[in-house]
Amino acid sequence: MQVLFAELLGLSQNPGRQTRLMDAGVQCAAFLGWDNVIASLRRRPGTVLPARPARAMALAGLGLLLLVLGVPDAAAGARDQARRIHDRLAGVPPTQQVLDSMEQDILDGNPVAAAYRAMDNRAFYDVTLKNFAAPWTNRDQSVFVPLNDYIATVIGMVRDDVPFNTLLSADILYVGAPGLPGVPAYSMTSNAHYAALESQGVNLKDNLVPTTQTAVTDLPPGGVAGVVTTRAAAEAFFIAGTNRAMLRFTLMNHMCRDLEQVADVTGVPDRVRQDVSRSPGGDSRVFLNNCAGCHAGMDPLAQAYAFHDWDEAAGRIVYTAGNVRPKYFNNADTFPYGYVTPDDRWDNYWREGQNSLLGWDGGLSSGGNGAASMGTELGNSQAFAQCQVEKVFRAVCLRPPVDGSDRGQVASMTTSFRAGGYRLKQVFAESATYCMGE
Amino acid sequence: MNISIDLSALRALALVSALGLLAGCGGGTETTANPQTNPPVIGTYSGPAPATSDVQAFMINVWENVRSNNRCGTCHGADGQLPRFARSDDVNLAYQAANAIVNLERPSASLMVTRVASGHNCWLASDQACADILETWISNWAGGGAGGGREIQLEAPPLKSVGASRVLPADSGLFMSTVYPVVTEYCAACHSGSVANAQSPFFADGDVDTAYAAARSRINLDSPALSRLVVRLRSEFHNCWGDCAANAQVMENSIVQMAQQVPQTEVDPSLVTSLALGFQDGIVAAGGNRFESSQIALWEFKEGRGNVAFDTSGVEPAINLTLSGDLQWFGGWGIDIRSGKAQGSTTASRKLHDLIRATGEYSIEAWVVPGNVTQEDARIVSYSAGTMARNFTLGQTQYRYDFRNRSSSTNQNGMPAVSTPAAAEVLQATLQHVVVTWDPVAGRRIFVNGNPINVADPAGGGLLNDWDDTFAFVLGNEVSGNRQWQGVLRLVAIHNRALTPEQVQQNMEAGVGEKFFLLFNVSEHVDLPDSYILLEGSQFDSYAYLFTEPRFINLNADATPSGIPVRGIRIGINGSVPAIGQAFASVDATVGGSAWVPGSGQLLSTQGAVIALASGPEVDEFFLSFEVLGGSSNVVTPPAPLLPPAVADGMPQPDFGLRTFDRINATMSQVTGIPSTTPAVASTFNLVRQQLPSVDNVETFVSAHQIGVTQLAIEYCSVLIDDPARRSAWFPGFQFGTAPTTALAGNGRWLLLDPLIDKMMGVGLNRQPDFFEVRGELSALVDQLASCGADCAPGRTEMIAKAACAAMLGSAPMLLH
Repeated sequence: MQVLFAELLGLSQNPGRQTRLMDAGVQCAAFLGWDNVIASLRRRPGTVLPARPARAMALAGLGLLLLVLGVPDAAAGARDQARRIHDRLAGVPPTQQVLDSMEQDILDGNPVAAAYRAMDNRAFYDVTLKNFAAPWTNRDQSVFVPLNDYIATVIGMVRDDVPFNTLLSADILYVGAPGLPGVPAYSMTSNAHYAALESQGVNLKDNLVPTTQTAVTDLPPGGVAGVVTTRAAAEAFFIAGTNRAMLRFTLMNHMCRDLEQVADVTGVPDRVRQDVSRSPGGDSRVFLNNCAGCHAGMDPLAQAYAFHDWDEAAGRIVYTAGNVRPKYFNNADTFPYGYVTPDDRWDNYWREGQNSLLGWDGGLSSGGNGAASMGTELGNSQAFAQCQVEKVFRAVCLRPPVDGSDRGQVASMTTSFRAGGYRLKQVFAESATYCMGE
Repeated sequence: MNISIDLSALRALALVSALGLLAGCGGGTETTANPQTNPPVIGTYSGPAPATSDVQAFMINVWENVRSNNRCGTCHGADGQLPRFARSDDVNLAYQAANAIVNLERPSASLMVTRVASGHNCWLASDQACADILETWISNWAGGGAGGGREIQLEAPPLKSVGASRVLPADSGLFMSTVYPVVTEYCAACHSGSVANAQSPFFADGDVDTAYAAARSRINLDSPALSRLVVRLRSEFHNCWGDCAANAQVMENSIVQMAQQVPQTEVDPSLVTSLALGFQDGIVAAGGNRFESSQIALWEFKEGRGNVAFDTSGVEPAINLTLSGDLQWFGGWGIDIRSGKAQGSTTASRKLHDLIRATGEYSIEAWVVPGNVTQEDARIVSYSAGTMARNFTLGQTQYRYDFRNRSSSTNQNGMPAVSTPAAAEVLQATLQHVVVTWDPVAGRRIFVNGNPINVADPAGGGLLNDWDDTFAFVLGNEVSGNRQWQGVLRLVAIHNRALTPEQVQQNMEAGVGEKFFLLFNVSEHVDLPDSYILLEGSQFDSYAYLFTEPRFINLNADATPSGIPVRGIRIGINGSVPAIGQAFASVDATVGGSAWVPGSGQLLSTQGAVIALASGPEVDEFFLSFEVLGGSSNVVTPPAPLLPPAVADGMPQPDFGLRTFDRINATMSQVTGIPSTTPAVASTFNLVRQQLPSVDNVETFVSAHQIGVTQLAIEYCSVLIDDPARRSAWFPGFQFGTAPTTALAGNGRWLLLDPLIDKMMGVGLNRQPDFFEVRGELSALVDQLASCGADCAPGRTEMIAKAACAAMLGSAPMLLH
């Protein structure tokens, strides 16, 4: 095996053999392939060609060493559209039989049906959705993390068309089906259950089963809030700190906005906790013009998590009903006249001012107690729905919405997403058909 | 009716109805007299003995300090001007004279203090410093005689409507054309940063923006005659360039000219407002109830100008600190050290050596705002000779406070040091109260914000016998100037006792800076005379005010308001209500009922609001506005949000991208039929997983990605070709196990290549490369690899098959989609 690899790469111990690969004919093919790619890119409307030498070299790598045969721009037919839908949704090519069926669906004027057929492939769940959700579950936003309960719950909710606006509030959890060989039971103190599902290549499409967090953990109903209270989310965002991280990453992952984008210095800062200096380094302008912009709205929302914590020693989420976690009183001497958290009462100050444009649901209360009702507040906003749609668009079309047509499509899909029961699979299907090409 | 307030318990304000007094619920800790050392006595007293213990207290605490001929005794002696409170012939007569000019209940209000504060023959360069020292002496006299916490009378402020006012423009243009020409002509010789012997404030600086920033707080557009720039000339005769009255008029005229071009900011008539107040209408609330019994040096940095920070402890000799380098006075009392230091003379500093050696213990107390948490080995407070020798040092290293003390158990550099734990990040770049104590038994201890830091002194206790009295006391740096600390010092005190945790806590709670009780009259709206909203106000830093704990009170202790709604309090300044920082805007209370506490009113909020400073504490005028107050209301409608601008079209993007790592693995697994859990491929995939593309943007593709793809493709193909059953199913008719010359002869090679192309690239797809072109390339590859001919080693055919398979599997048709 290694001999073959070395021979193909020409990277044996003899440096002179580094050109061996060229001798083997691959070089010609490689450069031919590169030329084809470049030619293809040039012919493709709207394509940005690599301008920098480094980028050109990087793309040259595409052709280097292996046979690269380019992407012709021949007019795509229904079969090509079907192939792209399948590639984008499942991440793998279809079988001939599936491709034939999808092509027929498109010819019949029902590309969405073709998309749903593609989503029958297990790779849509094992690969596409897993990679789709993985960055939401860690601070580094890395996709290289093991399968965990957060990811599995997202996969399950999409598979079962569970209304996605309950993502941050429902008492829901997906675990591996009972009796899978070699898979340990779900544990509050370990991710071994999900790691085993992944390492053993378990078909998640068929083997994830829904349950509730209250059934398999010791969390009471008041302590459950969808993926927010999964073990993975707690480990990543309730650990140490002040629990503001949970809100910030929830905003980033599910409202598509970091704090800078929701900063509003005109907000009433009466809920900003004591640990926030009002005069950082002796300059209150920094607080008034920067810190207050985020904290005024963030702190009254993050109060919803006042009873939640992560026990690093035990490796599990902690919920102390009625008792505010000590981390909410960190550095209380920094500004003694700041807010002292008495409970898990949250209030959405962003319903007023510039952030009212996030489209809050007027049918809901602007305040409440606990993480679940706060998750409901976020999950029913226009920004939440649009964010999910934009993420799916980005994952399926392999680019963000860039022009009026794309933005119109996102708006249309957001509307249908909200009106149609928040079924994310539908958004995947609509995105795939939008980007299936001419 | 007047109401007094005990400064020791501001947070537990309680009205004592019978006396009409506000007194602290917990009672204040007794303030005892400072030790008097080395008073500058001129001559020995041989007059009558003090008649009473109060005269004795006066004698010790005040008379001995003021009767010298370089202080009040020069003029107010036995044969001098009235009042003769500094006469040396008879302390009892001096006592009688002094009683007429002191206020033992409010030492700060003593005529002796206010007269000096307004410029009457201060023996130091700073009138404020003399006034502070006198106040300290009188307080000690009062403390010695009365033995209780200080109380302050709450008096109704003058009735002042919220008037239209002029706000200084942000831009310096108007200043440049009006006031600036006057100050640059007459004041720039000193008040410019670019001249020798430069004196702050630099309101005549060569840079007009710098000058304007310094002049803003000294210009009163509403009352130009009250501008500090004018008063300094007209009333204080400060360096007039001719006739002071005429000079003051020139300055006033320039400010009038400026004011005439600034439109008045009218108060919105729809606002429900209180009456207005300035800090000058408030009641000073600071300075009460610090534990100062063992205080031997104190710097409060009240001066605000000049280059000397005075030691106002009243303990002689005063260690007055000379400021050098880039040090700015900090609004609300303090110095902002950017570079340089504040250093005392070695002679004066010897006070520390002598008084601390006498007790064998001491404490360093400081209110600090570290400028950052990155500076290392920086000196905040030091009594030392350089980097190698010291008596003590309080320093900073990132998030740590360091405390070095020279004792019999440390070296001459005070090492090993005691530091707060780095991981605890005790030090923060915000206002903190830091006390470090030394005593011979416990050694060093550190308190931050009143809390003891749990860190043991590695050296333990010891003796201070080796202290050196030739060292100098310095702030913000080492005396050698090479251990710079950046930040703000708002108060520094040295005690020659190790403060107890309770005393540390007491001083922490006493706070720092000048504070005022502000009584905003709201009687008009609540139909109850003498009704006020009481706020404690202070200048928070150079850029903002802090208002805390609004409380509804009534100066008539018998009043019992009921059912008065108070909602949405906002602080106004100079006729307008700032949008930012209004922490009381969410107040929603009803005054009266069980929440009303006779004697102390009703607390409306425990919080503090930081409001940006406008023109400066001398001139800014404050008022409160309400959404609802009593029967008045003003509906505050938040402004409609601005719709975001239309998004511009982004750069066109390719409509295809890279298959990412898991997709590559899944794709290879699917097209080859080899499960991804097969140990060989799983192992290789785990090896190259993070080397494979992780994002689908084709522009991110680098050669390392291709290496990973190749490695994985070869592994899959190797497993496929090495499995006789699978390869037979994949390549029906192809003669594995024969030499290349046989297997690839004739149509043999198509038996190998065609299944690869069809299964891996797909059939009938216009977007994929041309079948025959691909076939040709693979055929050429096969030819090259089979060039060994009859000399090929056994197994060469299988290797060629793997190569062709890998070339196809790892190619663009797989990678791009």
